[in-house]
Amino acid sequence: MIKLLRYLSSKQSLLLFVFLELISLILIIKTHDYARLKTHSFQTAMAGKINRQINMVNRHFYLQSYNDSLLTQNARLLQLLQENRQNPITLPDILPEQFQYIPAYVISNQYNLRHNTILINKGEKDSVKPDYGVITPNGIAGVVQKTSSHYAKLISILNKSLKINVALKNTNYTGFLQWPGNDPNRFEVIDLPVNAPIKEGDTIITGGMSGIFPKGIPVGQITGFEPVPGRKSYVIYINSFSDMTNLGPVFVVKNKFKSEIDSLKHS
Amino acid sequence: MKNRIQYILTLIIFLILQIIWFNHIRIFGHYSPIVFVYPLLILPLQKNDSLNLLLAFTSGLLLDLVSNTGGVFAATAVFITYFRKIYFFISKNPAQNIDEIRINKLSLQQKILYFGIFSLMTQILIYSFDAFNIGLVLSKWAFILINSLITLFFIILFDVIFFNSVKK
Repeated sequence: MIKLLRYLSSKQSLLLFVFLELISLILIIKTHDYARLKTHSFQTAMAGKINRQINMVNRHFYLQSYNDSLLTQNARLLQLLQENRQNPITLPDILPEQFQYIPAYVISNQYNLRHNTILINKGEKDSVKPDYGVITPNGIAGVVQKTSSHYAKLISILNKSLKINVALKNTNYTGFLQWPGNDPNRFEVIDLPVNAPIKEGDTIITGGMSGIFPKGIPVGQITGFEPVPGRKSYVIYINSFSDMTNLGPVFVVKNKFKSEIDSLKHS
Repeated sequence: MKNRIQYILTLIIFLILQIIWFNHIRIFGHYSPIVFVYPLLILPLQKNDSLNLLLAFTSGLLLDLVSNTGGVFAATAVFITYFRKIYFFISKNPAQNIDEIRINKLSLQQKILYFGIFSLMTQILIYSFDAFNIGLVLSKWAFILINSLITLFFIILFDVIFFNSVKK
């Protein structure tokens, strides 16, 4: 016993090293496990408070680019308004009040890791809840993962564990958007059927089937595609419309009927 | 003891620098240097480095808390703090005791090699702990290499500014 204690004390550094690495690994696994991420609001609140102060200074350096992206979004919305006036949509099943948009600001944005996250300055007190989508003036940013009173943590679209339902514009062919993990502005769309009329330069939009994002939000432009061997589907390479390394103003998308749709899906 | 407090203060300064500035800058549009490891790399070498390991873990965990990264930075900081002892054990003169090695006494070439190896190791570890997939880490080799070189540049710059001024 004494020999054992003496041996262990001689290996004190090694034991402490292993112990601290184990704690760190447990923390990493807990953070990366999407299914178990329900609480941890303390960490979100702490990170939110610190990053909010930093962001208040930093955001002034990017005002010009934020203004440009908001102007682009305004121009696109005016164009849509004009098109809608010329050909008004009168379908009875369109629910104009299904989605509400909550304006927010990105206060911390990761894009260098494989499982990147984003922090925004709106939380439970602003009716932001997990599984709400978040869009930028030019595209999509991520999905709310967890919230504290005043902040929310998003799984960025630059996260290997996130797949988002998307569609080929002007068609009903859908697939899943995923990030290969390298360039923060390049993505892949998988499971799009081979009979879909795809060509380079076409636009990929949100598919709207998950209820997280409304249908039709532009996501990116096709730069190339190839069939997947052994499967009747394409893998499509796209360039994102959002600059994921420069996020400022965003909108949290609240689907008023999501819980109703989900309960029907799971019944 | 006075030295130890100096090192802890340096660690706090570099953590603040990392959180406030380096986490938010984008060199060439993509690269963010990881400079918080610099004070860990200049900690005095000891046979029993439990205190160094605890310091590394605490600083990494604080960075994880701010960055929402679980324990990625804590695991990386502890790993490099432990393995620098092995690095010096391999590279030192056989007659020399590990406690006798002074990092500020290393030549510039020795420092570039030491900081360079550990900058690269830091980047590889951060992406490995984050991705848990060697294939994914290897596919990002160019990014890791360039980010390591940029980190090395800043570390050498800080070392020249701080360490040399302290010695005078």
